[in-house]
Amino acid sequence: MSGDRRLKGLVRPYVVTDGRSHPSRNTFDLVTLVSAMPDRPLAGLSPERRRIVELCLLGALSVAEVAGHLRLPVSVTKVLLGDLVDSGHIMTRAAVPRTPQPDSQLLREVLHGLRARL
Amino acid sequence: MTPHIPDAVSWCLAVGAPAAAVLLLRQRRITGSLGERIGALEASVAARDEAAHRLASVQAPALAAAPHAAPHDLPPAADARLAGTAFAGHLHSVLEQFAGAAALARDRADQSAKTALKGAVRSLQGLANEQQLSISDMQDRHDDPDVLRDLLEIDHANSQFGRRAQAIAVLCGSWPGRQRRVSALSDVVRGAKSRIRDYRRVEVRTQHELAVVSRAVEPVVLAVAELLDNAARHSQPNTTVEVNLQPAHNGACVVIDDAGVGMDEREIRRAGQLLSGQRAVDVTQLGDPPQFGFAVIGVLAARYGFSVSVDTRSPYGGVRAVLFLPSALLTQPEPETESQPAAAALPAPAPAAPRTAAPAPAEAFPAAPLGQTVGGLPKRRRRHASPEQAAAVRPAADAPLGSEADWDAAWGRSAEDTARRMGAFARGTRAGRAATTDPEGTPQA
Repeated sequence: MSGDRRLKGLVRPYVVTDGRSHPSRNTFDLVTLVSAMPDRPLAGLSPERRRIVELCLLGALSVAEVAGHLRLPVSVTKVLLGDLVDSGHIMTRAAVPRTPQPDSQLLREVLHGLRARL
Repeated sequence: MTPHIPDAVSWCLAVGAPAAAVLLLRQRRITGSLGERIGALEASVAARDEAAHRLASVQAPALAAAPHAAPHDLPPAADARLAGTAFAGHLHSVLEQFAGAAALARDRADQSAKTALKGAVRSLQGLANEQQLSISDMQDRHDDPDVLRDLLEIDHANSQFGRRAQAIAVLCGSWPGRQRRVSALSDVVRGAKSRIRDYRRVEVRTQHELAVVSRAVEPVVLAVAELLDNAARHSQPNTTVEVNLQPAHNGACVVIDDAGVGMDEREIRRAGQLLSGQRAVDVTQLGDPPQFGFAVIGVLAARYGFSVSVDTRSPYGGVRAVLFLPSALLTQPEPETESQPAAAALPAPAPAAPRTAAPAPAEAFPAAPLGQTVGGLPKRRRRHASPEQAAAVRPAADAPLGSEADWDAAWGRSAEDTARRMGAFARGTRAGRAATTDPEGTPQA
């Protein structure tokens, strides 16, 4: 993550989040998909929050991608995303459906099969 | 013969007495005039003594103490009795030489203090910058909110430290030290906000589509940071410092209002002198503790061509500071997509997550058309050309380019191409697994 060093570091992350480091909700993952609610007004949002909404209006993005576009650390991005979910500007959904627990019967059969082979 | 003697005596007396009287009178006149001359000379010597004494005990110390006084600023060396005499001239030349020597000594002291400070501060500045980069890297690497909280605190302290070092360096004649890209004026103000202790109290009210040219970004950030720091330090901790950005006829203004104690006439006059940047700053005269703020702003304003004024007309009772940026230092903001072509060339998924596999967005969600801001500027570019675009270009581009490598080189990789390769890979591994029968996994078919 080399990035352009001249771009980084002008506005520091604590100013972006106003000193907060904990997201208001702990539901974000690197691959959580974020999409914007198109009918919400953007007035009063800080530049970063506004930009997140604008980016996500074009199509859902993962948290990692949002952070990449904003050139902000992922953990800082999560704080901003938490605020936006709270204010109703964006909604999130898990990207990948949870993998079902493997069937213990199946595992047992695999084990038997392996033993039979060896 | 004897009767003639008295006659002779009386004759002598008759002749001698008037002569003696004349001589006596003359002598008395001479004595009188000599007495007067002696009196005048004594007065003159006393005046010279007094003048010499004043030179030694009043004027020379005054010249030595006042930083920028010249001999003609002082009251005249001799009183009226010595006016126009050679002695007065000599005294004056002594005074001038002394003033010259004092100024020279002061300059030398100032120069050597500046050189020593510059050297020391430059290494501190380098360390602060290095530390900021490693803090940024750590912020990227760690995902834990508790770690982030600590990192933000360290980052905040380091930014303030860096600003102090930078201010001293500027005062000693160095450059502000970092090159930045064209930045939005609101980001410049927030950058300044990043560098002061009470940043939470600063409210940036208005936002405009104005940007500051690359070479002026860091100086303006530094000047605004000093103004914000002053405003925050001289007002109650529960008040806010308000920043408004106003476009003006031939430039733009950053207006900073605080609700603090304000400044009196003398302070405002002194601030005005320092902010004008006309007078060279003497680092040995900054007081204890040294007050850099206005002096640094003055140096930067004179060097980069913006201007700063302070007065007591804040609507909240405190000080209003106005930083005026002429049009020469302003420009149009660069579109946000500036850095996207670099990302577009990368085959890697998201730049923010190098070690974690984020799903390729183009697969899950078909590429959206290019967005536009309200002002008509392109908003952002997807990493792949949309299928329609690719389909439209491909037949025409195929013929001249020929090989797939050329195609890849010219276009990155199209979505179809990627899909085809992935498909081939999947089919290949499936076929390989189906054909494998031995435990080593060597294909037998």
